[in-house]
This record gives sequence, structure tokens and C-alpha cells, in this order.
Amino acid sequence: MIRCTDVCKFYQQGDNRITALAGVTLEIPQGAFTAVMGQSGSGKSTLLHLIGGLDRPTSGELLVDNRLIGQMSDDQVTLFRRSRIGFIFQFFNLLPTLTAAENIALPFVLDGRGKAEADARAAALLAKVGLEHRRQHLPEELSGGEIQRVAIARALAFNPPILLADEPTGNLDSKNGLAILDLLRQVNRQDGCTIVMVTHSEEAAGYAERRIYLRDGRVEKEE
Amino acid sequence: MLRLLNTISWRHLRHHRLRTFLTFLGMALGVAVIVAIALVNRALTTSFQSTIEQIAGKAVLQVSNSESGMDERVLALVRDTDGVLDVAAAVDGFLPVSGERGERLYIYGVDLLTDFTMREHQFAGDGFAFDQALDFIAQADSIAVTESFARRRGLAAGSTVVLNTSRGKQSYVIRALLKEEGTARVFGGNFALMDMPVAQLAFGKEGKLDIVDLTVETGSTVETVQARLRQRLAGAAEVERPKKRGEQIESLLTSFRVGLFFVSLIALFVGFFLIYNTVAVSIVQRKREIGTLRCLGMRRAELLRLIVAEALILALVGALIGCLLGWLLAQGALVAVGQTVRNLFSSIGLSGSGLSARELVIALASAIGVALLAALHPAIEALAISPLENARQAVWRPVFAAKKSWATRLGVLCLSIAPLLVVLAPHLTGAVRQFSVGVIGMLIFLLGLAFFAPLIVRYAAQWLWRWTLALPGVSWVETRLAADSLRRNPLRSGITVATMIISLAAIFTIAAFVNSVRGSLLAWVDQMVTADIIISSGARTAGPRNVSLHEEPAAGLRALPGVKIVDLYRLVRANYQGRPIVVESFSAALSAPVRTLPMAQGDGARVLREMAQGKGAVVSESFQTRFGAQVGDKIELVTPSGPVSFTVLGIYIDYSSDIGSVLIDRALYKKYWRDELVDAFDLWLEPGADMAALVQQIKAGYGDQYQLFISTHRELKDAVLRIMEQSFVVNYAVEIVALVVAIFSVINTLLASILDRSREIGVLRAIGATQSQVRRIIVMEAGWMGLIGGLLGLLAGSVMAYHHVVYNTKLLTGWTFQFYYPYDVAALVVSATVVLCLLAGYGPAKKAAATPVVTAIGYE
Ligand SMILES: Nc1ncnc2c1ncn2[C@@H]1O[C@H](COP(=O)(O)OP(=O)(O)OP(=O)(O)O)[C@@H](O)[C@H]1O
Ligand SMILES: [Mg+2]
Repeated sequence: MIRCTDVCKFYQQGDNRITALAGVTLEIPQGAFTAVMGQSGSGKSTLLHLIGGLDRPTSGELLVDNRLIGQMSDDQVTLFRRSRIGFIFQFFNLLPTLTAAENIALPFVLDGRGKAEADARAAALLAKVGLEHRRQHLPEELSGGEIQRVAIARALAFNPPILLADEPTGNLDSKNGLAILDLLRQVNRQDGCTIVMVTHSEEAAGYAERRIYLRDGRVEKEE
Repeated sequence: MLRLLNTISWRHLRHHRLRTFLTFLGMALGVAVIVAIALVNRALTTSFQSTIEQIAGKAVLQVSNSESGMDERVLALVRDTDGVLDVAAAVDGFLPVSGERGERLYIYGVDLLTDFTMREHQFAGDGFAFDQALDFIAQADSIAVTESFARRRGLAAGSTVVLNTSRGKQSYVIRALLKEEGTARVFGGNFALMDMPVAQLAFGKEGKLDIVDLTVETGSTVETVQARLRQRLAGAAEVERPKKRGEQIESLLTSFRVGLFFVSLIALFVGFFLIYNTVAVSIVQRKREIGTLRCLGMRRAELLRLIVAEALILALVGALIGCLLGWLLAQGALVAVGQTVRNLFSSIGLSGSGLSARELVIALASAIGVALLAALHPAIEALAISPLENARQAVWRPVFAAKKSWATRLGVLCLSIAPLLVVLAPHLTGAVRQFSVGVIGMLIFLLGLAFFAPLIVRYAAQWLWRWTLALPGVSWVETRLAADSLRRNPLRSGITVATMIISLAAIFTIAAFVNSVRGSLLAWVDQMVTADIIISSGARTAGPRNVSLHEEPAAGLRALPGVKIVDLYRLVRANYQGRPIVVESFSAALSAPVRTLPMAQGDGARVLREMAQGKGAVVSESFQTRFGAQVGDKIELVTPSGPVSFTVLGIYIDYSSDIGSVLIDRALYKKYWRDELVDAFDLWLEPGADMAALVQQIKAGYGDQYQLFISTHRELKDAVLRIMEQSFVVNYAVEIVALVVAIFSVINTLLASILDRSREIGVLRAIGATQSQVRRIIVMEAGWMGLIGGLLGLLAGSVMAYHHVVYNTKLLTGWTFQFYYPYDVAALVVSATVVLCLLAGYGPAKKAAATPVVTAIGYE
């Protein structure tokens, strides 16, 4: 499903070249629930961004869902991301001016679907994450756990084969965190969605079938 | 403090180079307009004064009767008055140099032998001996011109100069050259001396004097001599100090100058909003930074100082550049204004001058004052920024209570004060005060509407939010997300919309005013001038530039086949109650059947009949406003035959002058003014007459001799329009400034808006919004602001323009203009605003779309 071959990512900051990834090679099979772990600054987020096509690798080959996304144009990557990849971040996932339902419907309407279709889909997804009663609420009025659940619902808008989550529980207490992890496992098991989750917590990593440890931009070990 | 400025503010400015540049440019333009207008205004004041004083020489009192002139016997009367020491009489005026387009000489006709008591004329060469003077006087074609004029025209002593006089072309021989000193410096050296009788003949003022200069014996005070002279003259002429005469002439320009001041007030107002916009936006942009600074322990007072210092530096640099730009602008404006003044009011040499230290200080101080005032509110907003700003996640809360916000409250306050001022204005004393209060009332109305901008933006955004229609090329979601940004910060968008309202209202008001003046003027010319052909000399329109001719050509014109009626029109400046007015005359007896008279009160046909019977005079609206004369009242005019009383027969409309005009029949005019000169010959043709052939015939018969302008009705109308357009040149400069400011503020706001939302834009991109979608959203946002600002600006502008045209102008000038709504400009204002906003939005939109998603999200 996801295959990285010798992927490098450097950031140029003035005269300094910062190495975020220094040759990562790994493979994640379809339907797997993988946790990416490592110290702060080890390149976890960078890896996730590359897989999601938010950024481009400096070198190396990146095959996601059988596509070489490093070579695609920005528009191609965007359209690919819209329908094939779901993103969940640690914070600031939702547009603050839109209600929960509107946030969830967003990928749909961006795709040019009709409002009725988008509304129906949003309602179904809200039900799936158990937030029917929060339809008309603004992110302001939601708890952190609820925000993450809305974010997951939105990530699932197109039933994407891949879900990428960057410390989705990092900002939550353990009870809410566990609820989110349960939801992710459910999505993984029921929909067969491939999940890559960056986390610092061993407990969260426990939900995953596989773990990849990064250190200084390299794969340290895989379990 | 300096360190902070250097590290924080300077970096910010450098980081936003384009914005900084635009802000400076906008501010500089605003200051430039103000400085330029101040310079022009000063040139207008000082030019008249200094010209009059230079010509007056040593005279402490001057006896004169404006353009009407006085009987020659006044000279003896003055000389015989107790306390009068020296006396010198003169006839003066401008005459065109034949064959040299636009070249005119100021002719001063004096008794050379006595004039030395008043003025020093320095002649070139080995002095000007007594017998040379006698020789000069003995020959009836002598003229003395300045050395610089002679040099410019390639002339020397003994050469001839041909002038267009009231008797047609006349040759004069240069018998002396004047050094450009003393009096000869006036009008840039276009000065010439003639012997009095020669000048009288050239101007058609035989037996008359324009001015008698006098000095006072030691032992008598100027006041007592003045009083004595006034008594002896018994109203046949006025006795004033030269300075007072300068002021009188200067007062001709009052409305023109107040109008200019009004225009610079608008520039100041627009400038204020630009600074407000810039400071407010820069604070929004640095909210997080300010939060961090506060977190790190910066005190409120320090923060306030920092922001104020920033605004000050911004203003200072902008103002300095503006002063420079303003000086340059003034040089251009002086040419245009000088042209207008020469066309409409009086011949004058306007000389540009540098900015005095005082003016520089005033310009800088007002720019700084405005900047401080404008920075005040944003600075207070900044103080309220929480130290937690940086840590906040959801930066937006739907908390803007537009109904209860300070802006809305101030708006209500302004909108209730404005009508009071507008109603109050006509009840004050003094036209200038009335006008100023009226204008201030309108500006407060505008401000009030601008204060409502956030509320209106909020409701408009809410309405747009429910929008579910796709526009061509844009899906409804994009439309909606564009409106969303307005919704999330109605205050910021409101400020920009307010700036647009103010700029557009200014633009529209000026445009509507010009349009109404043009429309009214054209309609008026049609009524006032019904003649088929109008003939004048020296200039196409009667006024300070044309040469008055003798009646002699009239007979020949009447004899031409196809000519039905020839009427003679005369225009002179006179005085009424010590203030300048205009006296117009034509022969109503001759032309009543073919004339119409545009009336404000009374029936034109009846008034023309009564005029023909010599029953009285017709006065203009401006005269009525200025002197309070009503129909049936008696007015007493000072004529060369002494004071004469006329009954007011009606009130007519006269846009050619706002100082007040009196129209009388030519027979009466000739009788009392003892003047047979003509400023224009009005010709009405027989039906079916060949106009072109007639024009050719007139040209062949008289054109060469008199330097005639033979205008058809159409050509005259065009000439009037050209003069009008020219007098609005400065206004157009302000329009451009207002437009530039409006565009700057849109770009400013959008740049801040996308910075504020960079994370959201990142999220949008992460969940699959393409670059072009992001671009369209932001461009649309600009478009919405443009639409709201354009429509509101048009609304405000329409109200303001109507008030300005119909009420304010009347207060200042007495003129009643018809309001001609400029539909084309209205459509243009709204559509151009939207288009310009879309264009202005493109830069920020591109920038937002091109930002890498990872950077945008950047939350590490
Ligand atoms: N836009 C950027 N410009 C420059 N350097 C960057 C940028 N993004 C990341 N880096 C650098 O790349 C390295 C890896 O960053 P990354 O965000 O992937 O780490 P991480 O493992 O996600 O850390 P954390 O656990 O703190 O989130 C770090 O040294 C970081 O400073
Ligand atoms: Mg990270």
C-alpha cells in the first residue's frame, strides 16, 4: 500500500541544511494499523507529510496506493489526497467558523458535489462517530475529544484507503484518547482502512499492529 | 525602545516590503495633495497682493472705480483736496500682442512727467533725460517695454510692436526700454508704459481714468485724507489703501479657494483612513507576536509606545516624501489654476514658491496628528491582546456583537449629528462659514455610514453564507468560504469597506458635482446665448482675457446679407457696497424677440421687455445671496456719472460669475457709464442664411484688423465647457489619490486576512482544496468586499453629491445647480471597484495558494 525507498528530505534554512529524513525505506501493507514512534525531531511528522503528499521528498521514491506521488503535479496530488487519503492532526483540525456538519461535508463540497448529497454524507459520518447531537455546533463549543472525532469523520468522507494521523491523542486526556484510538481501530477493522499514526505514547502504540521507530531521520527498528 | 523598534518593527516592515511601500506611497500622495493645495492657495493670495502693491509704488491711497473707470475730472478734484501731496493718474489693462498667440502686455498709461512721484521707472541706457521724455510724449505711437520682453521677442529700441486694441491693430514704436525693477517686474516682465492719451485711445477709455494714486502730506493722516476724499467724491469712486484693493480682487477667488480647501479636506480624510487601515492591519497581523511579547513581560505602556512610535515614523517619512511630491504637484497645479484664474477672474502672474518652514511644520504636524489619531484605536485593540494569544488554538469566536459595538454606536451618533449640522448651516452668518458647516455635516454623515460598515459586512456575509448558487466558474462552496472570511472578522473587513466607502464617496461626489455643473452650464448657455454667431476679440468668451472693441464694426455687420439682428454685449467689473460685482449689458430693445433669459425668479420675457423700457436692472442669484436684494428693491450702483439707483426687475441665473452680477439695458449703461465699448457682438441670422459663408465674410472683413474670434453657438459652448473642465483639474488629482488609497486598503486587508487564516488554508489544502480553489476563494473575498464597499460608497456618494450640488454650493456661491445624476459614473464606480478589488485580491491569493501546506499548518 505504501512503499518508501531511500526517501530523503532536507530543509534549506539560510546556509544550513537541516536533515529531516536521511534515507527511509519501509513498506506498509494494505489494511495495516501502523504506529510511527521516535524522539522529537526524528522526522515522524515529515514522513507523514510526505506520504500524504503535503510535501515532496528531496530524493527517493514514494509509492502510495500504487501511485508515485513524488512525481505528480500539485493539482494531481491534491485530488489524490482529497479522495484517497484522510488526515488527522494533533490540533487545529477544523475550520473554526464552520459547524461540525459543515466541517465534515467540506471535502465533498470541495469536490463539487451537491449540497444535499454532502449533507446526507455528513449526517451518516456524524452518526458513525457518535456525534449526531453536535451537528450544528461550532468547534469552539466542542471538547477536544469531540473535535478529534469530527476530524476523523471528515477524514473518512470519501472512504479513503489510507488514514494518516499525527499525534491524534497528543492533546487529549487518557479517557478521551482511548476513545479516539478505539474509533481508529474500528475504522481499521471494519473499513479495512490502512492507518499510519504518529505517536509518543506507548499506550497508543499498543493499538497498532506494527511499530516503526525513527531516529535522526532513519528507521531505527520495526516491530 | 530603539532596540525594540529596530528588532520588531523594522523587521516587520522589511518583511512586508510591498505593503510598506504601498502605505508610504498612499500617505505621501495624501500629504502631497494637501501641500500642493496649500501652495496654490498661497500663490493665489500673495500674487494679487504683491502685484497690486508693486504697481501702487509709493501711493498710500488709490482712487478707483473698478473696471467702470472715472471721469478725468476726478484727477483735479483729488489734487485740490487738502492733505494730498502728490497725485498720479493711470489707465491700465492688458492688450494682446498681434500675431503672437497667448502673449499679452500689461499696459500702464501714465503722465510720464508726474508719474515719477509715485513709481520709479528705471530706463536702460544712459538714463532717460527730460527731452527724451518729451520726445516720447510728443509722438502718439510711443511705447516702453521691459528689456526681458524685448529680448524674448527679439526687439530693440526703434522696433515696432503691434497690439490688438479696441480700435483694431495698432503699431507702436519702442522708444525706451525699461529695466526690470520696481513696477516693471509685475506679470513676469510683460509690462509696458504708454503716455496716458495713447493708452486711453488703445483701451477706448477716452476722457476716463482707471486709477488715481496719491500720497499724503506730512501732518495729515491717511485716514483723514481718505475721509475727506470720500466726501468730495460723493460716491463717484472709491478711496482705498492699495492693500485693501488687493484684498478686494482676492475676494473674487473666495469660492474657488474654499472649493480647493474642501478638496484637500477630503484628501486628509482619506489619508486618515489609510493610516488607520495600515496600523490596524499590522496589529492584526502580529497578534501572536504581540501575545508572545506580552507573555515575555512587555508592559502595556511599552507596547503602546512601540505602536505609537511605529505610526509616527510611518507618518513622518510619508509626510516628508509627501511634501516633496506636493511641491512638484503644486508646480503643475499652478499652471492649471493660473489658467483658470486668468480665464475666470483676473489677469495674474502666479509664481510658484518653495514651502516655507512654517508650512512644512504644519504639513508634518497635521500628518503626524492624523497618524496618531488613526493609530489610537488599533493601539488600544493591541493592548487588549491576551498574553495567551500565542497559545490559543481556536483563534476565532463568533463574538462580534455588531449591534452593540462601539463602531455602530458611533455610527448612530454621527448619523444623528449630521442632519443637525446640515439644517443649521444656512442659519449661520457668512457664506464661507455656512458652506464649511454644511461640508462638515456631510463628512460626518459619511463617517457615520463608514462606522456602520462592520455591521453591514456582518449581515451581508451572513446572507452570502446561505448562498447556494454556483456563479460561472466558481462553485457555491468557494463563494461561501469567501464570505466566511468576512464573517469571521467583520471588524477588519469593515475597516476596509469603510475606507472604500469614503474613497468612493469622495470620487463619486466630485464626479457628480462636475457632471451637474456641466449639465447646468450647458442648459444655461443654451438659454443665455441664443445668438447664431458670437464675435469677440482676443478671447472666445467675454471676461478678463478679451479686448473690448468700439461699436464701429456693428454697422458693417448689420449690413451683411442674412444678418437679422446684431446686439452688443458688454461686461465690466464694478463695485457694490465696497465689494466687487459684475455689470452686464445688452440692448434688450434690439434683441428681446430673439433672446431668452434664464430666470430664478420672475418671467424672462416680461423682464426683457421692462429692461428695454429702461425700468431697472436684473440681478443674479449670487447677487441676491450676497447682498440680500429682492425683486422690487432699489440698488445703488457707483457709475462714472455718480451713484445711480436701479429697481430690481427679477433674479436671473448667471454661472459665469459667483460674485454677483447686475444686468441692465445697453442704453442705460451707455448713459451712466459713458462707455460705448463692446465685448461681444451677438448675431442672429435670417432663416436659411448661409452661416459658413457669413463667417468667411466676417473673417475677411474684420478678422485681421481685430484678431476676432468668430464662434458659432456650438463653439462657444465648447469653449465654456473647456474653461469649466480646466477649473476642475485639481479635483481630478484627488480622485486619483482616493482611488489608489482604496486599492491599497483592499490589498492590505487581504494580506492580513490570509496571514490570519494561514492554518485554515493549510487545513483546506490538506483535505483536498486545490491551489486554484484557494485562489478563487480569496479573490472572491476581495470581490465581495468590493461589491459591498462599491454599493455603499455609491449610496453615500449619491446623498453627499446631491447635498453638495443642491445646497452647499448655493450657500457658498448663490448658484442653483440642477442635479444631474451621473449614471455612467455610478455604474463605473461599482463595476470598477469590484474589478479592481478582484485584481487587488489576486496577489494575496496567489501568495496564499502557493504557501506549502506544511508551512501553513506549521504548528510545531
Ligand atoms: N519547514 C521546516 N523547515 C526547516 N526545518 C524543518 C521544517 N520542518 C521540520 N524541520 C526539521 O526537520 C526535523 C524533523 O521534524 P519533524 O517535524 O518531522 O519531527 P517530529 O519527529 O515530528 O518531531 P515532534 O515529535 O516534535 O513532532 C526537525 O529537526 C525539524 O526542525
Ligand atoms: Mg511532529
